[in-house]
Amino acid sequence: MRDDDVHPNRNLNRRRSSRISRRRALKILGSGVAAAVAAPWVLRHALADQLMGPGGIPLARPNAPVTLPRFEDPIKSGLEPEKGGTFTVFNYSDYIDKKVVDEFGKKYKVKTQITTFDSMDIAITRLAKHVKADVTNISLDRLGQAVAGKLLKPVNPDYVPNLKKNVWPQLQSPFYDVESRYTVPYTIYSTGIGWRSDKVKEDIYHLENPWSIFWASQAYKGYVGVLDDSREALGMALLYQKNYDVNTEDPAVIDKALADLKALIPICNPKVNITEYQTLPEGTSYLHEVWSGDMLSAVISYMPKDGDPSTLQYWTPPRGKALVQNDCWAISATTKKPVLAHLFLNYIIDEQVATDNFLNFTGYQPPQISITADGLVAKGVIPKNLESVVLRPEDLGSDSLQLMALTAKGQALWQSAYSKFISGV
Amino acid sequence: MYPRGLWPLFALPGIVWLLLLFLVPFYAVIAVAFGTVDPIFQNPVPVWNPLDWNYDYVLETVIGFLPGNDYWRVFVRTTKYVAASLALCLLIGYPVAYYISRHAGRTKSLLVALLVLPFWVSYLMRMLAWVNLLAPGGYVNDILTWTHLVTTPPDWLNGNPYSVVLGLVYGYIPYLIMPLLASLDRIDKSLLEAARDLGASPFRAFVHVTLPLSKTGILGASVIITLPMFGDYYTPNIVSGSPQTSMLGNQIDIFFHGGPQPAIGAALTMVLSTFLGVLMVYYMYTVAKASREART
Repeated sequence: MRDDDVHPNRNLNRRRSSRISRRRALKILGSGVAAAVAAPWVLRHALADQLMGPGGIPLARPNAPVTLPRFEDPIKSGLEPEKGGTFTVFNYSDYIDKKVVDEFGKKYKVKTQITTFDSMDIAITRLAKHVKADVTNISLDRLGQAVAGKLLKPVNPDYVPNLKKNVWPQLQSPFYDVESRYTVPYTIYSTGIGWRSDKVKEDIYHLENPWSIFWASQAYKGYVGVLDDSREALGMALLYQKNYDVNTEDPAVIDKALADLKALIPICNPKVNITEYQTLPEGTSYLHEVWSGDMLSAVISYMPKDGDPSTLQYWTPPRGKALVQNDCWAISATTKKPVLAHLFLNYIIDEQVATDNFLNFTGYQPPQISITADGLVAKGVIPKNLESVVLRPEDLGSDSLQLMALTAKGQALWQSAYSKFISGV
Repeated sequence: MYPRGLWPLFALPGIVWLLLLFLVPFYAVIAVAFGTVDPIFQNPVPVWNPLDWNYDYVLETVIGFLPGNDYWRVFVRTTKYVAASLALCLLIGYPVAYYISRHAGRTKSLLVALLVLPFWVSYLMRMLAWVNLLAPGGYVNDILTWTHLVTTPPDWLNGNPYSVVLGLVYGYIPYLIMPLLASLDRIDKSLLEAARDLGASPFRAFVHVTLPLSKTGILGASVIITLPMFGDYYTPNIVSGSPQTSMLGNQIDIFFHGGPQPAIGAALTMVLSTFLGVLMVYYMYTVAKASREART
C-alpha cells in the first residue's frame, strides 16, 4: 500500500510544497538567464586559468595535443644554404658533442660556435634579448612560451626529411607541436631510481612500491639524493603516493607532496643536486632520483677505471606511470642563416650523427628508430642491468606522464613548495 | 691657492661609482620586489614609480620572516652559521694579522704575499678542493683516523653544518685579515711603549691599548666578510647540498633562478639588506665615535 493513500493530507501538503510560487519562478528564471550569460565567461576564465599558457596558447598534454600558431611563413623550399660566417648553436653546456657541430660546419663550409646557457630560464631570457643564435635547444615546457614570444622560426618540413625517415613515429607530429611546426626531437629520457647494488641491500626492482625506498633509507643517510628540480623532486613524491597527475595545480595535492618530500629530511638527509651521473659511479651516492640519460653517462663517461658498471642499477616505473620527457631543437628567430638552420635540424637527427652524439658524448638517447635496448646491450655499449634506461617508442604514448608547462599560478605553487623543501624546516 | 671645489671633485668618481653600481641597482631590486612579471617570458618587470607598487610579494615575504615562519627559521640558521664563521675568522685571523703587523719583521712582505695567494685561485675551485679533502676517503679523514683522534671518520659532506661553517671560514678569512692588518699597522707604536713604560705587562698593554684601538678595524673587517656570507649560497651547495644546511642565499637563488616569482627573491634581498643595514649603521656609528674621540 502506498503511503499517500493512507495519509491524503500529507500528500496534498507535499504537492503544495512542491509547487513553485510566481516569485520563486522569476528568481529561478533570472538565475538561469544569468548563469547562461555568465557560463561562457566563467568557462573561458576557468580554461584560461587551467589550460592556457603564455600568449593564449593552450597548454599541451600527451592526451591534449596542441598545434602551435605560426606568426610568419616558413622559408620556401629548395633554397641554397647560406655560405660563410659563423653558425651558432645555443645549448646547455656539454649537451652536444663539439665534434658533431664541427663536422656540420665542415660539411657546409661555415665556422661553428656553441653558445651555452645554464638553464632554460636563462635561455629564454637571452633569446628574448636577441642573443645571436641560429638554432636553440628547447624543452617542452618552454616551447609555448618561446612561440608566443616569437623567439622561434617555423620549420619547413621539406628540409627535414630525416624526421620521417629516422625518428619514432610518435615524435614525427608530437602532441606538444602537432605537424612539427617548430621543432625536431633531440633526446628522450625517463626519471627513475638509480642505485649501487653493492651498497643498497634492498631488491628495489621487486618492492611493491619502489619509490618507497627513499622513505625507508635510514641506513643510507647522507648518501641519498633527490634531483634539484622543483617538478622532478615534488613529482617523485606524487608518484610515491601513486598520484599520476604530475601537472596538477591543486594546492592540496602539492602540499601533500611537499609534506612527503620534507619527511625525507629526517629519514635520510637527502642531497639535492643533479650530479648523480658522477656521484653514483664514484660511490659518494648510493641511492638517487635520476634521469635515465645521466645513468648512461655514468657508465659511458664517469665510471672509474676500476669500477664495476654492473653495480649500477636503474628502475623506472612501467609505461604510463613513469615520467618521460624529451628535449628538442628549434630555429632561433634571430637567425640570419635560416636554410642552414633547417639543415642543422635535419643533420642532428641523421641516424649516424645522432648515434655518435649519444654514445660518444651526451649519454642521452635520441628517439631514433635504429636505437634499441637489445642492440645497445648486444654491442656491449651498456650492461644488461641498465637495459631499462633505454626507452621504447610506446613509452611516449598518450598515456605517458610528462612534466609540461603550467599556468603562472601553478608554477608559483610548485616553486613556493619547492622553496619550502629546500629551506629544510 | 687651489680653486674652490677642487677637493670635492676628487670624490666625484666615487660618487658616480656609488650611484651607478650601488644605488641604482639597489633601487632596481626594490622596483622588482614591488613589481610584476612579463606575462609571456616571466622576466621581472620593475615598477619604478612607488605610486604603482604592488605590495603583495613584499608583505608575504615579511610575514615569512616572523618568528616561527619558514624564512625566519632559515634566517636564524644563516645567522648562526655566519656568527660562528665570523667568530672563528676573528679567532684565527686576529692573531695572524697581529703577528704580521708586530712581529713578522723582514718576512712581513712574504707573509702578506702568502695571504694574498688564495685570491689567485677562484673561490669555487678552492671549495671544490675541500670537497676532495673532506670526502670519506679524503686526506682529512685519513689524518684523523691515522692520529687516532677519531675512531669513526665524520661524514663531512653529508649535510654537516660544521663543514658549511668551515667552508665559510676558509673562503672569507683572507678578506678579514687584510683590512685587520692595515688597521693594526696604523696603531701608533709609541702608545704601546707608553703603556709599557707605565708598567703594563705585554698582555695588559694589548688588552688596554691595542685591542681598543683596533676595534674599528675589527668591525670593518667583520662587516666586509659578514655581508657576503649572509648572501652566500654556493658554499652550502658545494660542501653540503642538504636542505638542512641551506642558507637564505639559497632561497633567493630559487626565486631568481626562474619562475613567476622573482619579486619574492627581490623582497628576500630587501629584507636581508635591511638587517645588514642595521649592522652597517652600528659600524658607522662606532667609526664616527672613534674619530670624534681621536680628535679630542
